[in-house]
Amino acid sequence: MECFSLLRSDVPALIDHLGDFGEVIAPHGKGDVSYSFEVVRDSSDVVLDYNRTLLPLKKMFLPPVEKLIGFSLKNESYEQVDVAIAPRVFFGVHSYEMQSILRLDHSMLSGSAESNYFKRRQSSRFVGISFEPDEFHFSESVGVVIEEMEGFDLFLNEVDDDFQLYVLTDNGQEMLNGFDKINLTEPEIVEGRNFKKKIRYHYNRLPRVFQYAYHSDVWADVASRCVGCGACTLTCPTCFCFDVQDHVEVTAEDGMRQRSWDSCMLSTFAEVAGGENFREKTINRTRHRLFRKFKYITDEEGLPWCVGCGRCTAFCPAGISMPDIVNELIQEDEKAQYHRTVRV
Amino acid sequence: MKPQVAFFDFTSCEGCQLNKLNFENDLLDILKHVDLVEFREAMDDKADHYDIAFIEGSITSPSCVERIHDIRRRSDILVALGSCAVNGGVNAMKNLHPIDDVRETVYGDDKYLFATLPAMAVSSVVKVDYEVRGCPMTQQDFLKLLIALVLGKQPPKYGSPVCVECKLKENECLYNRGMVCLGPITRGGCDAVCPSFGQFCTGCRGILDNPNIDGMLEVMTSHGISLDEAKKRMLLYNSNEVQL
Amino acid sequence: MKRLQDVEHHETEDLYYPTMCKVTGARQITDMEKWYELEMPEGTSLGHSPGQFVEVSAFGIGEAPISISSSPSKNGKFELCIRQVGTLTNVLKNYETGDMMGIRGPFGQGYPMDNLFGKDILIVAGGIGLVPLRSLINYVLDNRKNFGRLIILYGAKTPSELLFTEELKVWEERDDVELHVTVDQPDETWKGNTGVITTLIPSLDLKLNTTIAAITGPPVMYKFVVMSLKSKQLPDDQIYLSLERRMKCGVGKCGHCQINGVYCCQDGPVFNYADIKPLEEAL
Ligand SMILES: Cc1cc2nc3c(=O)[nH]c(=O)nc-3n(C[C@H](O)[C@H](O)[C@H](O)COP(=O)(O)OP(=O)(O)OC[C@H]3O[C@@H](n4cnc5c(N)ncnc54)[C@H](O)[C@@H]3O)c2cc1C
Ligand code: SF4
Ligand code: SF4
Ligand code: SF4
Ligand code: SF4
Ligand code: FES
Repeated sequence: MECFSLLRSDVPALIDHLGDFGEVIAPHGKGDVSYSFEVVRDSSDVVLDYNRTLLPLKKMFLPPVEKLIGFSLKNESYEQVDVAIAPRVFFGVHSYEMQSILRLDHSMLSGSAESNYFKRRQSSRFVGISFEPDEFHFSESVGVVIEEMEGFDLFLNEVDDDFQLYVLTDNGQEMLNGFDKINLTEPEIVEGRNFKKKIRYHYNRLPRVFQYAYHSDVWADVASRCVGCGACTLTCPTCFCFDVQDHVEVTAEDGMRQRSWDSCMLSTFAEVAGGENFREKTINRTRHRLFRKFKYITDEEGLPWCVGCGRCTAFCPAGISMPDIVNELIQEDEKAQYHRTVRV
Repeated sequence: MKPQVAFFDFTSCEGCQLNKLNFENDLLDILKHVDLVEFREAMDDKADHYDIAFIEGSITSPSCVERIHDIRRRSDILVALGSCAVNGGVNAMKNLHPIDDVRETVYGDDKYLFATLPAMAVSSVVKVDYEVRGCPMTQQDFLKLLIALVLGKQPPKYGSPVCVECKLKENECLYNRGMVCLGPITRGGCDAVCPSFGQFCTGCRGILDNPNIDGMLEVMTSHGISLDEAKKRMLLYNSNEVQL
Repeated sequence: MKRLQDVEHHETEDLYYPTMCKVTGARQITDMEKWYELEMPEGTSLGHSPGQFVEVSAFGIGEAPISISSSPSKNGKFELCIRQVGTLTNVLKNYETGDMMGIRGPFGQGYPMDNLFGKDILIVAGGIGLVPLRSLINYVLDNRKNFGRLIILYGAKTPSELLFTEELKVWEERDDVELHVTVDQPDETWKGNTGVITTLIPSLDLKLNTTIAAITGPPVMYKFVVMSLKSKQLPDDQIYLSLERRMKCGVGKCGHCQINGVYCCQDGPVFNYADIKPLEEAL
């Protein structure tokens, strides 16, 4: 693994250079205090120090709203949708975000492998960047450190305000061909980028905590504060649920079948015709969300399905914190264990 | 045969009517699908039967009650348009005050000459088949309903909060900008138009079923407004729906 | 964990494109239910197993999961029976012979036929639950010598809601079918059993080691039927249930059908009771 030094001031030049390998998509400022992944028009607009984007990078592979088929009501026929597969370079991606894409690969490609997702996911390259954890990031607790480079072709690690550029794959090597603003250097370990938010247990122990957490009192407390807006799940990079609906043009002749992101936190998510609702109460839905992140898939795949990006907490109007809930469950579990031992 | 369609106006600001006339090109498309038989007072011939009657405005007087019963009798499908008709809307704010005070404020010393009732949703007087929410309702939403009815399909029902559409558009949440927004408990379908323009949602499309009202008040007050103000905001369009 | 590099392009699927199938027969069989026979294009076959479902669609309206009601032993064509309860199902009500329906599937796990061969089959169908079970019943009847007893318990709210009444008559008359029908609310003409479906269970004489039960009905029914069968000592793993959940994709992607950690559309809709017993959200 080669490592080069790169001046902060030369990063825009690198972004321009990467344009030879596809459309470059990178974080930009959005609104007053937020960020968003956008296509780069001017490399000097790209933001290198950001906490997290509003929507995860998932939106580039599983778009928030996507046309599945177009149809004509007159002819009872439909047309297929061509999913564009131009090469893309994703620049300035945090490690937890990359990990979320790898998890999304599993969700969309295991069982029946979805071609729409596959086509968008193919011919994409990733350039990672380190980040300074804020009060919401807790990815280290779920096994994703700042410098986790799995999935990346190149990785920029900030060292004393400038960068060290790691070359991780052949694609990465290729992307640096002809770029001369870098110099071979020795990799350095960066100290002092500490996570302020933590889950108290190693993630290996969480499935066991969750095994006993189904009837915990914690859920009712969370449910009393949750207003059911769905923000936590709609912004989560590993959530993938969607709804499918048909839309008809004003002419009442043509239309399309669309899917759009959906959320198991919404009260109608598991409701069926006739009124039966299989997760009727907020408490059922809150619990389901956390079990999806720390138990159900984790039991099978051995990894938490939360990457610790902190979006669900940062964007929850009620300030409900994912790691805090987990810590409460841990505390409750410790108490229960204590009582079990004392009785024996 | 094209469905025979009529529009009727009750107590509202008529914002919804205006909205409809803004359709321009789309209006021509709509007219291909329906026969407009009555449009406010503009057309005189009172038909004895309508396939679809669209009702705007809330029911606020005994004569309104009589008139809406009459329309219902002559209509197959009755649709409430706009928040005034759907749940009383802003008009229903007056229900929070004793009715005599309201008459006094509105009509001054003439108050005893006018009969007034609490502002009621059309559905609290007659059966309403479908509704188009919003203040004003959007063209988009109205068209969707009309197309659905023309196709013989159920019009879309909105069971998700405004936040869903807001998130899908990747808006910066107003809560993260220090504002207070009713999006989380408000029925979506407006494409989160207000937050998209930096305005907080005032709840004009009505409150969702089974909302967490206490939780919402807590959210609002913890973002810097008083409990009083929070309640006022919640009631603005929903005095008939929310009990505080 | 499945990785991108493990997947070849040709292994991916266009999951959301329906196949247009021609309606070759349609009949309103009760106030609420319509029966359809469909044909795949160009003589292809659906290739389903009993208990599987398809996603049915009408353009501009939407899609819904519907069980396949015919036996795979019926060649070339397949049958559906749809209750009119909402947007799509009410539009499908107007579909007649010659119309085209969009079909995706077959999806999900049906009955594990290998485990059922040679066994006594006990069918417990509540209301519209007879629709998917009819596929299994007709499969057993078409391969009659491969199975032991065929016991059918069928309950409906009222006599007029009974589905497939002509077939019920045929089954009634066969010596190798034990049919017991009950209604909750009888009318003047009703001469059969009355009461909920569980009232039919206690008097059954079951051979415990060879009986396999297959249950389908409204959500409230399962708990009670399972309780009755348990009180007859039928082992958990000899009970199969077909569960209903909200579904959108049918292929394990949209998340709507999750029951705790399992997917109704992928791991089900037919489940072995022993497998789902620990799941809090299942019954
Ligand atoms: C595996 C399976 C097999 C089924 N088999 C049959 C059958 O053979 N015959 C039959 O009449 N019905 C069957 N149903 C139920 C049928 O799917 C619903 O009645 C139907 O989805 C209602 O659609 P709608 O558009 O008319 O109703 P709406 O209330 O307008 O529903 C809108 C959408 O919500 C979803 N939805 C609503 N209710 C259900 C539901 N009960 N199950 C799953 N998704 C739902 C669907 O995506 C549907 O299109 C089955 C359901 C499942 C899960
Ligand atoms: S659960 Fe929350 S912290 Fe975890 S990945 Fe999803 S949004 Fe990020
Ligand atoms: S973001 Fe917060 S309030 Fe909204 S659904 Fe999630 S937990 Fe509930
Ligand atoms: S701005 Fe309002 S509608 Fe949008 S996400 Fe925030 S609370 Fe919801
Ligand atoms: S955002 Fe809120 S106030 Fe604005 S149109 Fe939508 S529901 Fe009405
Ligand atoms: S129906 Fe979409 S995951 Fe099962």
